[in-house]
Amino acid sequence: MANDRMAEVLERLLAERADQLMRSAVLLMGSREAGQDLLQAALERLLRHGKALRGDPEAYLRRTLYNLAADGFRRQGRLQRKMLLLRAQAQIPVDEIAEVDLRDALVRLLLQLPPQQRAVLVLRYWEQLTEAETAAVLGWPEGTVKSAASRGLRRLRELAVSWHQPELQQTGLRGQQA
Amino acid sequence: MSTDVEELLREGMDRFTTGVQAPDGLARAAVRLRRRRRAVRAAVACGAAAVIAVAAIAVTGVAVGAPARSGAGLTQARTAAYVIGRVENALATEHLVLRGHATSGGWGPTITWVYGARTRFVEFTSHSCGHAAPSGACTHHGGSEPYLAQGDAFIHGKRYGVYVTYFDRKWSGSPGWETMPASACSRTGGLEMSGPAIVTSHWPAFIKATLGCGAATVTGHVRIDGKEATKITGSPVTVRLQGGEARAVRERWVRARWTLYVDSKTYLPVRISGSNRSFGGPAPSYVFSSVTDIQWLRPTAANIAKTLVTIPPGFRHVNSPANQ
Repeated sequence: MANDRMAEVLERLLAERADQLMRSAVLLMGSREAGQDLLQAALERLLRHGKALRGDPEAYLRRTLYNLAADGFRRQGRLQRKMLLLRAQAQIPVDEIAEVDLRDALVRLLLQLPPQQRAVLVLRYWEQLTEAETAAVLGWPEGTVKSAASRGLRRLRELAVSWHQPELQQTGLRGQQA
Repeated sequence: MSTDVEELLREGMDRFTTGVQAPDGLARAAVRLRRRRRAVRAAVACGAAAVIAVAAIAVTGVAVGAPARSGAGLTQARTAAYVIGRVENALATEHLVLRGHATSGGWGPTITWVYGARTRFVEFTSHSCGHAAPSGACTHHGGSEPYLAQGDAFIHGKRYGVYVTYFDRKWSGSPGWETMPASACSRTGGLEMSGPAIVTSHWPAFIKATLGCGAATVTGHVRIDGKEATKITGSPVTVRLQGGEARAVRERWVRARWTLYVDSKTYLPVRISGSNRSFGGPAPSYVFSSVTDIQWLRPTAANIAKTLVTIPPGFRHVNSPANQ
């Protein structure tokens, strides 16, 4: 690579893709601060492996980002994330439309899933990659991706069911009263 | 139902990240972090706590591996006693110049020169980073050039410990220099053995003390470059990093391991392999390992001159290594 090209490539890549990568990192980590830390760590690794900049730097960066997240980057931050979630839960307005609340609740639950399942779900439903593409990014067998996605979605569905139950019960009660 | 959940999740993720933007200067921050990590690693390896203000290591907690005292311990004690006896008759290394060439995966090579209490440690850029820009970023592939140097320098006739960074043409210093550890019995001694730098100029005494306190054990004999060498393995040490260093690398602990190979006849070191793993902070755990091959040279004027750092003309003096 010619002189100064490496720095140029990185600047150009970030000018085009930084926001999207940052959004993925925030989803993987649960907060802007932690997402920024994750993206920073991935960038540092990219710099350490200059060869990656000569190939497809975005693919390398994305792979590093997800792998760091799946490996439990910032493990001790789990408590902080939980506290963040509890705080967020307390702030839910009671008169919010149920469907919108469910979307928020699903994301909050997503952030409580194990790092591997979360990484798979973000790749599948945020990045909209296929199972094969997700497996390629994470460097895992496709079967592992399938089972992680399946387990993660099962937890989310359980939440969705329990979310709708009180609503249904309430509707039933109203019917009896009428 | 499942499709609904997937769709709702997708919408939820979109809502959750709406308005999220990457902060400015991400690339520059990554370059800075990498540069700090390199400098701090060199500081950890050199044990230059007194000189590197930002990398000050405050050793507040430790877990020195327990020496072997039972079972095979008796044999080990006899072996150690034998080696200690031989070491006492070994050559006095302070009259020779040590040159250590270290290689490590992913990092550039380093060369250390030691004569008496003087040391010079130089790190070069790796082949994949032929030249480092003032920001610390690598600019091209191939070649190798000095990246940083640490050690002793005489400035206006007075001895200083200096830290020179070639990529940004700066240097900093402090009067005097950290004294070399007398053994690896201390945590800092064990930590320094895990890096590419050479920790002492009094090797026979160092080995004797280290085996004597149980911080290392004789673990076998091997052949290195056709010569028989005695293998001495250090007990792992865990050191807590504090202050500037912990902030710079965003990690809390370093776990250090090392193995020393000494010539079975002279008891002069011929090779040191070491590794240190930093962990416990928000940054991912990081492992640095190196192998240092050692040569012993005659104390000619030319060889002795290489044990001092020279500050190149035009380099700017800064107050602290934190500014480099």
